[in-house]
Amino acid sequence: MGTVTRRQLTDLPSTPGLIIALVLVAILAALSFGLPAVDRAVSAQRPVRAGEPYRVGAGVSVVPPPGATLDVTGTRPGDDRGTALFRIGAVRYAIAVQPFDGDLTAAAVRLRQRITGTSGYQVTGTQLAVSTAGGLAGLQGGYTAGDRGGRYAVFVAHGLTIEVTVSGGDLDLGRSLPTIDASTKTLRYEGTR
Amino acid sequence: MSDPVRPGASRAAAFARNPAFWVVILLLAVGAVRMSQILARFLEAFPIATVAAIGLFGLLAIPFWLFVSELDFLEREPAGLMSVAFAWGGLVATSVSIPASTALENLIAKIGSPSLAAEWGAALAGPSVEEIAKTLGVVAIVLIARSQVNSVLDGVVYGALVGLGFQIVEDVVFAIGAVALAGQGDQIQPVVTTFLVRGFLAGVWSHTLFGALAGAGIGYLVVTTDRGRAHRIIMAGLALFGAWASHVLWNSPLFREGLGNGAVALLAVLVFKGLPPLLLILYLVRRAHDREAAYYVAQLASLRDPELITVGELRALGSGSRRAAARRHAAASAGRQARVRVRRLQRAQARLAVELSRASAGSTERPDGRHHDDVREQRAALVALGHPEAVEGVHSWRHTASTVGTTAVAIAVLWVALSALGGG
Repeated sequence: MGTVTRRQLTDLPSTPGLIIALVLVAILAALSFGLPAVDRAVSAQRPVRAGEPYRVGAGVSVVPPPGATLDVTGTRPGDDRGTALFRIGAVRYAIAVQPFDGDLTAAAVRLRQRITGTSGYQVTGTQLAVSTAGGLAGLQGGYTAGDRGGRYAVFVAHGLTIEVTVSGGDLDLGRSLPTIDASTKTLRYEGTR
Repeated sequence: MSDPVRPGASRAAAFARNPAFWVVILLLAVGAVRMSQILARFLEAFPIATVAAIGLFGLLAIPFWLFVSELDFLEREPAGLMSVAFAWGGLVATSVSIPASTALENLIAKIGSPSLAAEWGAALAGPSVEEIAKTLGVVAIVLIARSQVNSVLDGVVYGALVGLGFQIVEDVVFAIGAVALAGQGDQIQPVVTTFLVRGFLAGVWSHTLFGALAGAGIGYLVVTTDRGRAHRIIMAGLALFGAWASHVLWNSPLFREGLGNGAVALLAVLVFKGLPPLLLILYLVRRAHDREAAYYVAQLASLRDPELITVGELRALGSGSRRAAARRHAAASAGRQARVRVRRLQRAQARLAVELSRASAGSTERPDGRHHDDVREQRAALVALGHPEAVEGVHSWRHTASTVGTTAVAIAVLWVALSALGGG
């Protein structure tokens, strides 16, 4: 057994203890502020090929709107589920696919509750039936959050729910919605997960 | 080879005079503010589910806490420091990990690809950030109370408690996330499902286990002063790497495909991904425990005073299962009161062993004989009950049957849970 000194038997002397404590603070700061800063410094936008279907996940694809870029921070493709996040200027266009065993009405209720569950978000207007070129039937509606507006659409097919949410400032949204609506109509289940 | 224990001072540390203590308190306060903000949002959106999640996972913490605090029976850790470790995991490590893990997963998607992030993001980002943030909690304990970390087992205990705090808070966050995702309002069903999956099935090999392994490394770094600094740092680094690797394996997509979705598939995942690290860490904990126990038993053996401890009691005191067997034997031969008294005697003997170790290490504090008197008092009480020695009895068929029955029930409950969750 090594020699045990009085210093070892008591707590660490103040000065080295304080230095190590400050190193510890620096590591924590690097993790909680440094990593997010590096993340913000690296661009998340990736170009997508115009007019070509993009595979969201679980066999679902969509043709992105012209001029859209893919935001890789909100994009996670997978075999049984997936998400894709496109940005058209300041407008956010998100698609989420996941397993679902309910009907279209239940899927719409679920999505509306998720939207209104976010503080400040309110659903507006009535829901309308919508369909895609590939034959998927769905429901769509609108929501607001302060000075931001939003649209949602939901489809159910082949044991999946496909949720579309679009949000942005009213002006930007007004300009982008026609191309986003056109893109939503290209949603297609290709059958191979 | 060095002694497995480096005795520390018995008196409470002069915390207020230690600047590092105030740094740690400040970090805990900042973590508390950040987690309170998250909790306030949860309570506003889903009050019933949030209260249910806190209640369920809070209850889950109790058996884990009791188990971990019993690991170091012979040299128990102060409740205040154990609470600091738990709070570090639940407040500091979580509040650091939430933004850092998200950022790292984003970077994996940006530098790699969204597919890579989808497959391996959770497996790489979470462990990389969380294991560092949790291990720093054990370092914090060393900084504010160096004298209390005097064996590898102490590092295991504090590491496990940091992990437990992290696990409980993370589980609450996941449960409320499941409620929000379900989109059915303020319902507790997603909380219950999360509790069964993350608390019941995955709870055993979660953060408590990984934290214990990393904590063992910090314990080794601090205690084995006869080894070179480089060697100790490498060993601590290996322990942290082991915790990280176990966490990565558990979060990884390996075995996700090809086994289906039934109970057997879920069991296979638990066995293949969870069992190897579990067995490895249990082995290391057992080894650290046995080495520490042998050290303290040797301290007591040097007394050669059967009124303080007999040869049979020396044997029983060194093993958790034999200590429990001695208590069962007392209950069977002299009633419940004897069981309680045997436990008190064992605790008193353990405190005496710690005092002896400090005296033999040249502590400036003089033994006051209080622990000797305490042991004699417990011995007298046992003698009065007609059960003078706290030793194991003859192996009882009842205990064997009870163990087998409990195991069978546990397997049945596990199978039902697996079937319900796996759809098999």
